[in-house]
Amino acid sequence: MSERRPYLRPQPRTWWAHPPYRAYTIRELCGVALAIYAAILLAGLICLARGPQAFESYRAFLASPLSLVIHLALLVTTLWHMVTWFRILPKTMPKLVWRGKLVPQALMTNAATLVAVICSVGLLATAVVVGAWL
Amino acid sequence: MSIPGNTPLPKRTIGPLFWLLFGAGGMLSALFGPALILLTGVMIPHGWGVPASFGSYESVLAFACNPLGKLVLLAVIALLFWHAAERLFLTLHDMRAAPAALLRWLTYGVAALLTIIVAALLLAIGL
Repeated sequence: MSERRPYLRPQPRTWWAHPPYRAYTIRELCGVALAIYAAILLAGLICLARGPQAFESYRAFLASPLSLVIHLALLVTTLWHMVTWFRILPKTMPKLVWRGKLVPQALMTNAATLVAVICSVGLLATAVVVGAWL
Repeated sequence: MSIPGNTPLPKRTIGPLFWLLFGAGGMLSALFGPALILLTGVMIPHGWGVPASFGSYESVLAFACNPLGKLVLLAVIALLFWHAAERLFLTLHDMRAAPAALLRWLTYGVAALLTIIVAALLLAIGL
């Protein structure tokens, strides 16, 4: 038996829904929303394997207003995931020293976010250019 | 950092593997996620900015038959599931929603199952 009986401050069961923990909960659930997008892609893969007819109904769903609303909501959560991901990045990696000085965390966050914006815009631009080419 | 001679090395666990998959999925979606969602969910289905033929059965089948295309599909779909699984597990664990072992099966277990399904589909599609 343990001799230690530390005082545990009572915590309401819904602590995660209130500040300061709410921001943490929202950040984590935005990461979880990525699974919905993966599930949509997986559904497309299943329809592709089942044949042209199944894939056409999948395309009809993607072109529907409901799908547009879902994807725009997913876009917002993914952008928030991107912003918060690079805020966490400097806290999870070893300290970076440049010419004897510590690189500020804000600088690393901004630089990494800029790289992400370049990656995403680059991918979109490539798709548009290839589409115009063909 | 040195470890004193009489201290046993920390026990090896499978944890870092999950952490690696989580990090890879998080980085992939942070770098390319917004563009991927816009492309596959908004632009291609409606033919906005790109030809609508990008989303045709023949085009997507050709992409899924290409080995590089298969790799992209497996990486994107499976890593996003593993990323979400890690975050959902930690959040539900913090909320004390259920015993940790049950939560692990419901998150990592589901991610593993879905990864196997994606891999099997990709193997079947090329045949």
